[in-house]
Amino acid sequence: MEAKKKATAKILPLLLLLFSVFYLVTLPVSALALLQTGAQAPEFALKDIDGRDVSLSQYSQKKAVIVLFWSTWSANSPKAVKRFEEFHRKYRDRGIQVIGINADNQTISKEDVENIKKFLKEMDVTFPVILDKGLKTFHDYGVIALPSTVVISEGKITYEMPGLPLVGTEDMFDYLFVLAGETPKKKIEPRYVPHHDAVANANLAMRFVNKKMYEMAYPLFRKAIEKDPKYMLPYVEMAKLYNVEGKLVEAEETLRKALSVEPDNVVVTGELGYILSKAGKIKDAMYILERIVKLNSHAPIYYYYAYVLAKNGQMKESMNAFDKAIALNPYEPMIYLLRAEVYENSMMLKEAASDYRKAIKLILKIRE
Amino acid sequence: MKRQEKEEVKVEKGKLKENIFLFLIIFFFFTFTSTFTYAQDREKAVSLYKESVKFFEDGNIDKAIETIKEAINADPNYPEAYDHLGYMFLKKGQLDEAINAFNSALKINPRMRTSKTGIGSALMKKGDLKGAESILKEALILNPYPSMTHYVLGLVYEKLGDYEKAIMHYKEGIKTYKVRIGKE
Repeated sequence: MEAKKKATAKILPLLLLLFSVFYLVTLPVSALALLQTGAQAPEFALKDIDGRDVSLSQYSQKKAVIVLFWSTWSANSPKAVKRFEEFHRKYRDRGIQVIGINADNQTISKEDVENIKKFLKEMDVTFPVILDKGLKTFHDYGVIALPSTVVISEGKITYEMPGLPLVGTEDMFDYLFVLAGETPKKKIEPRYVPHHDAVANANLAMRFVNKKMYEMAYPLFRKAIEKDPKYMLPYVEMAKLYNVEGKLVEAEETLRKALSVEPDNVVVTGELGYILSKAGKIKDAMYILERIVKLNSHAPIYYYYAYVLAKNGQMKESMNAFDKAIALNPYEPMIYLLRAEVYENSMMLKEAASDYRKAIKLILKIRE
Repeated sequence: MKRQEKEEVKVEKGKLKENIFLFLIIFFFFTFTSTFTYAQDREKAVSLYKESVKFFEDGNIDKAIETIKEAINADPNYPEAYDHLGYMFLKKGQLDEAINAFNSALKINPRMRTSKTGIGSALMKKGDLKGAESILKEALILNPYPSMTHYVLGLVYEKLGDYEKAIMHYKEGIKTYKVRIGKE
């Protein structure tokens, strides 16, 4: 009897864990899924600008699909659309498909459609351009800047590039030229792909985070790091989780550990800057963010920098940096949350309420 | 005489048994057919509801309203259908019609929290900010997923110029938001 009780006591937690894992694995893909090399590319089935159905799976026979997220209002989108149109014309018969996903607005009006059509006509675009109603695909791919490019091969993300950085863009096109069968201009290093077990653990941890089951998430993030210490995502997400729980020391430690593996990682540096500023280490935060903001055009770098500038009393410069972040990705709730906090601390309550409203609208995906 | 009486009683009892039997057959027949018809009506209504949601998501509100009205005709006791109709009227700016639809949903299910939030939104748009505040607070008590209600309350307080309370509700709405299956 005693032995039976002991056996039940051993089996019960295991069954509970198995049930939780099964429950989470069977959930639909979260809209907060992160864009990462090696991850399964979320499927999309949308209408193109002329009302025709276009899905990712219809191009599953292609060697690669290039998905370009763009908008008519973002400064670098015309350049990106132009580059990909040239690429498409030259290599469309080599098994590479370019698809443009327009992210002009959450709700696309008839005027928006006319505006997009006019833009495409002026640019003489021949690759399919689809309209992302409600920006579902934009969120599924966790896009952080417009334009952004994702390359998909055999259903998996093999390359991703937010924005249109000077150096990064040419590296990406070199990668695409090689895919199209061209001889590389320079030696191309094999791209880092995280260990699949690490990706699986990190994804599962993220699902627990989304369900606010934080205690289940921590060991999975640690396991992901253990499986692949070069994989930066679990460090960043775990640090974010520590931050949510107010554990700033642990958050800083996690990010510094990540930087000891990859000292120049922009995302990790940005997150560290933010954590340092929250911990009141404004000088340290300013030092590292000032350095990377000059080199990168990622929205998170700008809004973290803006937040630190405000904490340093440089309100005007802070607002300019927030504006730059919004110009890169106006659908990122974190921008409005941080700016709201800045306004609130300055007792500008009307402005703070307005920014909190913008943030909650984006988080709840409210369409007017 | 006694024998005749006994036989009459026997016949009476037999008739009574026959009647009870007949009554039971009729009772079960009607119960079964009405349950079956109800199930069929609900199934049809649910299918029309889903169709209407699809039209709504595609931006075709008029077709969505037409379809949800068909769902209500198929099953007039389907609170979610009235609730959905309310939100579409809200979207079209037909505020009185929206309130009527939400009230119909609440008549069937008084704990229909989304309908209370819907009435709050309609009252706010009509300018009845105090009325909106009152029903939204009620919805907040009923609601285990209160993000949307906090959002609308935030809007109400912003319109009232009480930015502190607006900020508090927006923050609560974000804090209580949880990724989950299905709609709020």
